[in-house]
Amino acid sequence: MTNDYLLLTVFLAIAIVFPLIPLAMAWAWARLFSPAKPGYDKQSSYECGIESTGPAQIQFQSHYYLYALVFLVFDVETVFLMPFAAAFLKLPVSAFLALMVFLLLLVEGLVWAWAKGILAWK
Amino acid sequence: MLSALAPELILVITALVVLGLGVSTPGTRAAITAATILGGLVAAAAVLVLPVDGNFLHGMVVLDPLARIFKLVILALGLVAVVFASDSFPGIHLAESLALILFSTVGMMLLTGTEDLLMIFIALELTSIPLYVLAAFAKESRSSAEAGLKYFLIGSISAAFLLYGLSLIYGVTGSTSLGVISNVSGVADPLLIAGIVLTLAGFAFKVAAVPFQLWAPDVYEGAPTAAAALIASGSKVAGIFILAKLLTCGLGHWAGSAGWGQFLPGWAPVLALMAAASIVLGNVTALVQSNVKRLLAYSAIAHGGYLLLGLCSASQESLTAVLFYVVIYALTTAGAFGVVAIVEKQRGGSRLDDFDGLAKSSPVLALCLLVFLISLAGIPPLAGFFGKLYLFTSALANGNHLWLVILAVAMNAVSLYYYLIVLKHAFVLPARDDASPAAAPASRALVLALALSVLALGLVPNLLLTSLNKDQTTKVAILTHDK
Repeated sequence: MTNDYLLLTVFLAIAIVFPLIPLAMAWAWARLFSPAKPGYDKQSSYECGIESTGPAQIQFQSHYYLYALVFLVFDVETVFLMPFAAAFLKLPVSAFLALMVFLLLLVEGLVWAWAKGILAWK
Repeated sequence: MLSALAPELILVITALVVLGLGVSTPGTRAAITAATILGGLVAAAAVLVLPVDGNFLHGMVVLDPLARIFKLVILALGLVAVVFASDSFPGIHLAESLALILFSTVGMMLLTGTEDLLMIFIALELTSIPLYVLAAFAKESRSSAEAGLKYFLIGSISAAFLLYGLSLIYGVTGSTSLGVISNVSGVADPLLIAGIVLTLAGFAFKVAAVPFQLWAPDVYEGAPTAAAALIASGSKVAGIFILAKLLTCGLGHWAGSAGWGQFLPGWAPVLALMAAASIVLGNVTALVQSNVKRLLAYSAIAHGGYLLLGLCSASQESLTAVLFYVVIYALTTAGAFGVVAIVEKQRGGSRLDDFDGLAKSSPVLALCLLVFLISLAGIPPLAGFFGKLYLFTSALANGNHLWLVILAVAMNAVSLYYYLIVLKHAFVLPARDDASPAAAPASRALVLALALSVLALGLVPNLLLTSLNKDQTTKVAILTHDK
């Protein structure tokens, strides 16, 4: 057991050090050799090639939280589906029916949200 | 097994139908309320008519006559909350609020029908989460949002404590079924002690016992009154029932004793201390309240203390007394909140001043308020008196709990003051302006029915008491022969 963890520690150390080496070399080169020549085009932020207009801080509409909420429900449902899928072949039919009931309840929640007009962007 | 869960299934289907009605065109206010009440009545019929008794899935679903009685009580309280909500909630989201009440009622019914630690937690969460949403339902009110947030945060933390405690108990005893846990004996090891304390902490939140009572005043005051009625009556009944079952049936071996000079370590002294603190704090703080809902919250804390006093005696007759008292307390509190809901609709607030002149404008309602508050104060011939009598006598008969009973009786006398203050505003002081009585016929009829039931249970306590006594033995027998 100690052998496995030792291997992991060595692996961890190499995984941290390995990407740092080229970064350190680039920093050292920039510091010691390349001259500082900042320019307008070099310092501006990239926005798919067009000139950026307007302030950087825009306000999110709070209506967005409803989408996040509905997404969260279905994401947790997906998480619950995964162990069921992994053990699917060994489970009896009743387990499948029980999970169908679970899925249908959540679909009913989606239908309710849709009918209430929550999914329409205001 | 599905037929044992038929009442809960009927309620779930009703809730889904009501949600569907809410988003479709035939969903008028009356239709939604009628559908809910119809579903509740069918579920009640299912509870009465179902022939199956026994336990399923190693104690996860248990049906016996005592559980049936409590399922009926909880259904009745849920329907009471539905009627109050239909009269006082605004129309836009009525279907959702009724569906939430139904889901919470399903959770409470599952709580009364289980003997398994995992199912206890699931049912407790199913009870609480709709109540968190209901507490925050009044969207224009800041105090409702505050109530919902406080209830949710404190409730979730308590649920975490409860789950940790239950998992520790499972770890030490090796099973989640109360029947197996009750067979484990021997000295309590430190892990089990930690588990029991954490479990008590989680349940003390539900019952609003000191030192876990801080949520109750703000939630009772801020939540819409129908939701507060359900929180005060339904969740208390289910919480006390499952706490009684867990402690006396599952963990009975480690009860200890709280008698003066007979101290033995266990959960009974913990309950006794919590009871003493709740009784004192609840009654004394209620003296200075100016909002009736907040006053009822502090009174709920005090009554939680009386119930814990009954539980710490840990005997068969004190168990009967506790179950009797929690039922009549739930009926009384539901009725009191119903009166507050009607007055709120009439006057726009629930401060003591808003009750001025209630006797002139709605004499029947004022009389019902009198019945409820005098019953809470424990004055014969109302049901509250007999509940307290059985509680205190059973506490005295099982161990030297004289110190606790003296404290409880003294604080009970203190409580009479604040109940009478509300009645003074209702009966003696003249109305400040002439507000016409609010039209809420269903709520008024239900409040009258609740008042009559409190009066009936006071004049003939055997209506409830004989069935509780008889079924105590069945309850214990079922627990001991399951595996």
